[in-house]
Amino acid sequence: MVAMLKKIKKIFSRELPFLFVCPALLWQVLFLYIPLGILFGHSFIKYVPKLKTFSFTFKYYAKIFQPFSLKIIYNSFMLAFQTTLISFMIAYPLAYFLTFKIKRFRTFFLMLVMLPSWTSLIIQIYAWFFLLKKDGIISMALYNIGIISEPIHILNSHTSMLIGMVYCYFPFMVLPIYAVLEKIDRRLIEASSDLGASRWVTIKKVIFPLSSPGVVAGLFLVFIPAFGEFAIPEFLGGSKKLFWGNVIVSKFLDYRDWQAGAAATYSGFMFPIMTFVLFYFFVKILRRKKRGVC
Amino acid sequence: MVEKRNIFIRALHPVFVYLTYLFLYVPVFVIAMFSFNNSRYSVSWKGFSLRWYAELFKSVEILDALYVSLVVAIFATLISVLIGTALVIATRWWKSWISYLIFYPNVVLPDIALAVGVLSVFAFFKMPIGYGSLIAGHTLIGLGFVVPIVRSRFVELDPVLTEASLDLGATGYQTFRKVLIPLLRPSLFASALIVFTLSLDDFLIAFFCSSPKVQTLSIYVYSQMKETVDPSVNAISVLLLVCSSIVALILCSMKVVDRVIHND
Repeated sequence: MVAMLKKIKKIFSRELPFLFVCPALLWQVLFLYIPLGILFGHSFIKYVPKLKTFSFTFKYYAKIFQPFSLKIIYNSFMLAFQTTLISFMIAYPLAYFLTFKIKRFRTFFLMLVMLPSWTSLIIQIYAWFFLLKKDGIISMALYNIGIISEPIHILNSHTSMLIGMVYCYFPFMVLPIYAVLEKIDRRLIEASSDLGASRWVTIKKVIFPLSSPGVVAGLFLVFIPAFGEFAIPEFLGGSKKLFWGNVIVSKFLDYRDWQAGAAATYSGFMFPIMTFVLFYFFVKILRRKKRGVC
Repeated sequence: MVEKRNIFIRALHPVFVYLTYLFLYVPVFVIAMFSFNNSRYSVSWKGFSLRWYAELFKSVEILDALYVSLVVAIFATLISVLIGTALVIATRWWKSWISYLIFYPNVVLPDIALAVGVLSVFAFFKMPIGYGSLIAGHTLIGLGFVVPIVRSRFVELDPVLTEASLDLGATGYQTFRKVLIPLLRPSLFASALIVFTLSLDDFLIAFFCSSPKVQTLSIYVYSQMKETVDPSVNAISVLLLVCSSIVALILCSMKVVDRVIHND
């Protein structure tokens, strides 16, 4: 008995690393890789219990190319595109300022940018909901000052939706751009100005090209979740238009149609990623033509 | 001419940055201000009061939601730190790209995909969604942060330290307890804080994985927004904000943020 216990103990201690690795890997595989893999398969394969066979169908993907779905994709694409563009215009100057102009407490200021987006998405939405509604702060303040003759309803418009989207997503672009800008060798910038380039030319020819990996990462980090967003259009946009995120949500939670939901989810990644890949190659080809290699 | 434009941009740049900070913090301050407003209607300022904070502790629904949020956050934190650290310790010989490759999707994939995945596991096994699915989803997000953070500290450690401890006669467990854990403590603490706030503030996973009976605070706020909004929602928001700000300040002072940025 004692010998057996000892043996068990020995096996146990020998296999300890294995036992240590298992839980996290199992968790990862069980809740992430297997379901996402199966959902991918399920988006075009269906098991028919009666016949005990699998049936292949691309009808859910084919449905995406119907005018109705294309309109939704177009809506989502435009919203994500505008959000990404405005986010970039806000995030790049901010990251640039943090890296080159602020000497002390830099991490603190970076943290300040991240903090609001760290709190619950729904609370950020709620805050804008509260500000923009007809009897909300902004409308009442403008009314009391006398700029507008009666309270305006800023909520439920494209503008209000865009404000919410940019507010929630642009901090995610600041971080990667900042990380890249900070690593740029300062001597390169000095060399550029020593050689007579103005600050603007240095930014255009040295700093921006060097920071492009961070910019691309930031564009991804904003564009992909923005494409699948559903809560912001619902509350700040007044559900006037349908977006791809709404489609995913309704397929899973309202219709309980797993196959359609899976197809919607995967195409929801595929469209933004494909957009980016195409864009990337487009830019690359353009650059090559400029250099005259092609 | 070019000089002139440069000066103009140089003057405008700080203004632009301050405006960005203003844009970020105006909603937060307005919410905070109106959580102290002594009026049921949010329009006008009727004096200072702590009425809505008191209301929080009277409402059964809010207390239930708070309870669910806390239980889920605590379990998700404990599980992800425990199994994440175990994995890191046992996989020292892994090349760092392997663990990044395995755990990167948790951070990079949109939350909606993680949520759909967890939901489908529970649906497949016909398990009721609720605490289980919420903890599963939040632990998944947590692992994506725990593994890189703890690993970045762990690979910095000198392997001689553990070898010395073993040579001096400590058992494996003693070495783990008295040498490894104290050395890893800052990173464990930091990652636990991050997972805790992420779980507390999560909306998307909770939206898919909570049942009508088991609701988190985020979902409570969501359902309130669909109907008429009670001003106590302002108070909840402020409490959550304060909670994440404190965590952010702690992390900031621990220089965790620096480390995470520079390792990526």
